[in-house]
Amino acid sequence: MIDEDQLGAAIRGAASEFEISKDAKNRIVSEARQGDGEQRRIPIPEYLRHQSRGLQFLSIAAVIIVLAAISIPLFRGEISPAKNKVAVSGAGFLRPVTLNSTGLVVSGAVTSPQKTATGQLGVAPTSTSATSNGAATLSPKIESTGSVDLTVKKGQVNSSLTKLGGLATGDGGFVLSTQANARSHAIGSFSSGTIVLEVPQHDFTRFVSQVQRVGHATSILTSSSDVTSQYVNLQARISALNASRQQYLAIMARATSISGILAVQNQLDAIQSQIEQYQGQLNVLNHATTFGTLTVALSQSGAPVHVTHHRSGLSKAWHDGVSGFISGFEWLIRLAGPVLFAVLFLGFVLVAGRWTRRAVRRRRL
Amino acid sequence: MQSSLGLDDLELWLEEGYPQSVRTAYLILGNRLDAEDAVQEAFLRAWKFRHSLSKETSFKPWLYRVVVNTCNSKLRKEVPHRDRRSAEEELETLETRDLVPERIALANDVTSALKDLPAHLRIVVVLRYYADLSEREIAIAIDRKQGTVKSRLNEARRQLAQHPALRLEESNISNYDQEVTG
Repeated sequence: MIDEDQLGAAIRGAASEFEISKDAKNRIVSEARQGDGEQRRIPIPEYLRHQSRGLQFLSIAAVIIVLAAISIPLFRGEISPAKNKVAVSGAGFLRPVTLNSTGLVVSGAVTSPQKTATGQLGVAPTSTSATSNGAATLSPKIESTGSVDLTVKKGQVNSSLTKLGGLATGDGGFVLSTQANARSHAIGSFSSGTIVLEVPQHDFTRFVSQVQRVGHATSILTSSSDVTSQYVNLQARISALNASRQQYLAIMARATSISGILAVQNQLDAIQSQIEQYQGQLNVLNHATTFGTLTVALSQSGAPVHVTHHRSGLSKAWHDGVSGFISGFEWLIRLAGPVLFAVLFLGFVLVAGRWTRRAVRRRRL
Repeated sequence: MQSSLGLDDLELWLEEGYPQSVRTAYLILGNRLDAEDAVQEAFLRAWKFRHSLSKETSFKPWLYRVVVNTCNSKLRKEVPHRDRRSAEEELETLETRDLVPERIALANDVTSALKDLPAHLRIVVVLRYYADLSEREIAIAIDRKQGTVKSRLNEARRQLAQHPALRLEESNISNYDQEVTG
């Protein structure tokens, strides 16, 4: 190892081998004098400057966590004011139109033509109450779906599938899809299958009970939902759009300039596109409420069935222990994800805080 | 806070600290003009932010901290992007003074050995052996823990001991040491 005294002497010697200019000091003083007039401090907030490092770090971490808590749901679309707006309004997709002597000026919402005192062709909101009233006379629109698991006798999967298809067509429905699976050693004979049936909505419940009689039902699951409000909403929108479309056509007939005609045409195109979109949704809803969807899964009897034996004493304790161990392990694995995330996040905050603190301290000097 | 300081105090700072700061910066940057430039900037910065010098803070490490920060900033931004003066040029400057050739050669060897050290090691060596700061003061000056300073000094000494220029000139160093201290 090098001798420290010798090293110090050598370094001092190396550093002292040149003259230092003397006017530099005067230059510094004069620049400092000028700078004093316009001296400014780095704008570090007062509440941060007098806090300890720990508190500064905590403040920064808190700000980051709050920002993350706000931004993550926003990115995931959980808090979306726009969504709510669309859901409740259902209107406001058109702009009001005023016609003046030079042509059309476009701006506003769903409208109907109306002569104003100034002679311009004004617009007023179109009432949709007429169409809404129609909902009172509308029968409830119900959408039904269901699934049934059937066990049939050995070798009867094919015939059961055919029988189920026949039941559906006999009731005015149809077969949407069929799938049958064969075991490798039993070519030509299917051991299981799935059939998806569309049956008239009004006959859905009766049809489910008919299906149960084809084999032995091991599981039945049906669900229904009332979509009347969606249906009425779509109808109202379409009616409102049709009314607006008629009004724009009337305006177009009175337009004299090409720019005016083009402006109205744009609005008409937009309305038409929306009408078609809503009509498509209405058609889908119509179909879903006209036909109920039932999925029937068939399997032949004799397939291995899991039987639960009642255990007692040591055996039960042993199985409970194993099960508890596995549950604990699963719990650890489940916990590892959030913990890892938290550790990474805290690490990031620590590094960022440290870096910021250093940067601030450097800026102070 | 020392915001009540006047320009007289600055003159006092300069009187006491300017030459040593320039030589420290020279050893860190390896170039005299860069060193003078950095120290002038450092003094102006120190003056501008004199409010950060509290009564409890020692002046010397505080000032060296500003100087080291300015040197670091120069090393990062300016010095690598421009032609540095060659060693020969530095030598010419030295030869203009009436110095013995052995001293010039030794100064060059030490400067060259320091230049070959990584900047973070060079800084602690210079602050320890030229500026004569304690490990605690160096820790304040470079904003690191005292343990870090200690390990950096050890590493720097190890690297310097293995540097060919200093190994060959060991006898010269001891002679020169006697000359300087004598």
